[in-house]
Amino acid sequence: MMPQGVAGAGTASRAAGERLVAHVLLACTVIAVVTLAAVLAVLVREAGLFLADVSPWRFLTEITWAPAAEEARFGVLPLVVGTVQIAVGAAVFALPVGVMTAVYLHQYASRRATRLLSGVTALMSSVPTVVYGLFALHFVTPVLQVLWPGVEAFNALSACMVVGLMILPTVTVLSREALDSVPAPLLNAGLALGAPKGRVVARILLPAASGGILAAVLIAMARAVGETMIVTLAAGNESRLTWSPFEGLQTLTAFLTQLGTGDAATGTREFQAFFAVGAVLFVGTYGIHMAGRMLVSRSVGRRGQ
Amino acid sequence: MTRPTSRRDPIGAACRVAALVVLFGFLAFAAYLGFTASQVVGMDFLRGASSGAADSAGIGPALAGTLWLLLLTAVLALPIGIGTAIYLEEYAPRTRLTAVIESVAANLAGIPSVIYGIVGLALFVRALGMGPTILAGGCTLAVLALPVVIVTSRTAIRRVPAGLRLAAYGLGATRWQVVRNQILPVAGPGILAGCCAAFTRTAGAAAPLLVLGTATFMSFAPQTPAHPLTSLPTQIFSWATRSHEGFTALAAGAAIVLLLLLLVMNLVSAFVVRRLGGASP
Repeated sequence: MMPQGVAGAGTASRAAGERLVAHVLLACTVIAVVTLAAVLAVLVREAGLFLADVSPWRFLTEITWAPAAEEARFGVLPLVVGTVQIAVGAAVFALPVGVMTAVYLHQYASRRATRLLSGVTALMSSVPTVVYGLFALHFVTPVLQVLWPGVEAFNALSACMVVGLMILPTVTVLSREALDSVPAPLLNAGLALGAPKGRVVARILLPAASGGILAAVLIAMARAVGETMIVTLAAGNESRLTWSPFEGLQTLTAFLTQLGTGDAATGTREFQAFFAVGAVLFVGTYGIHMAGRMLVSRSVGRRGQ
Repeated sequence: MTRPTSRRDPIGAACRVAALVVLFGFLAFAAYLGFTASQVVGMDFLRGASSGAADSAGIGPALAGTLWLLLLTAVLALPIGIGTAIYLEEYAPRTRLTAVIESVAANLAGIPSVIYGIVGLALFVRALGMGPTILAGGCTLAVLALPVVIVTSRTAIRRVPAGLRLAAYGLGATRWQVVRNQILPVAGPGILAGCCAAFTRTAGAAAPLLVLGTATFMSFAPQTPAHPLTSLPTQIFSWATRSHEGFTALAAGAAIVLLLLLLVMNLVSAFVVRRLGGASP
């Protein structure tokens, strides 16, 4: 590593080089900021045009979503409800299993079991979601149909289970970080008082880590809300309000994929509807993410004290 | 501390069951994929073009499309993202503006990729007139990767001990000398690992490309970025939606090729990170 400019280069040319590098880096920053601002601008502009046409009240309260129909209806509620159903359903599967696996890794696992499970979760988290979607549609759904003959080819249950599988690594890894941040003396004090290990876990470890675990759940839920390919493949793409897990439904994300197959022309209300839905999805995931990050930084901050 | 856990520890037992459920879920997934894909193994599958007939179809064009997309994403997102991270950390004054940029980038890194798809369609495919081409796909994926690259690079740069920086400045080094000779050698492995995470996200992204409008029947491999958009993830999706079993096997085969591609990328990156990590002070 030879310092620049020592071997005869003049101070003037070195200063010029410095300025050039600074300008190039500044240019990179400007390009990046303009690009990210353009993303937000396109989303806000098209969604704004849509809401100028269809009143926000109708958009948020009507219960039929049929943007391409002859008599177009723009009630986003079925999509929001479908998204919440999938996210909550996935959490029902992933939350207990993920948190308990984290406790297992933290308290009970041998070194070999830890290495095995860490490897498996790392592999699972790098699988593209379209591959999980394939698994949901062509393996989980047929199995469910054997168990319950009433299950439709597109159903919410299969999507929930596989989205749960997809967010499992997130829940496990982040919960384990939360458990690791609990001070060991706290646990040792409990054990020294003669409490059995299960009691220490339930009464000391989990309450002490609850903030971090909640943050883990929120971040995993944000991923479930944004999940696109699994729900498009497994739950279908037909908008309806239903409470039956055996029927198909449509989520915000699944609807957005239809922009590619449809022929909505730029500037039409149907085209702008996609951006209004995109904006709802954006606000939802942004909000959940912000809450999760705040919880994480708060628990990290407490750890640092 | 390996005390045998007592039988009367229901929580311990439940935790063991949970860990087994995770293992079982993964094994069921892997077994299904491997078993289904085993029906299409062969060089014809790797080279062949996608076709309407299941037994003569292959992933040649889709694989080439994904490699093109990765190349474009790397060329577009890496220099700009890393340059931005260096500028924000080492050059820019700490103002409210940089704090806002940081917060926006961190949150944009977490929003669903399909949103980048609809914006990419409006921006690249329609407004800039690129059409549903590999170029438009590469630009969209680059925008998707950009926030991740910025955030992880900034984190890696921030982890460099302040003492290194101050010592170099104290010896009279200029900013760029500090960045080139002190910051980048130490932060390099972290930046590389972050970029690899961004790449894993983009290489497997089907949703944004699907929104741009992909060609699912491609008779020859793309030669230039102006070629109609095709990629492994969207090809998997298109085959998965067909009910014929031959196409399911094709989708599983393509999924395994995609997983292997991601695995190789991650292994190479881990190897380079270890080498760099060993060489840095």
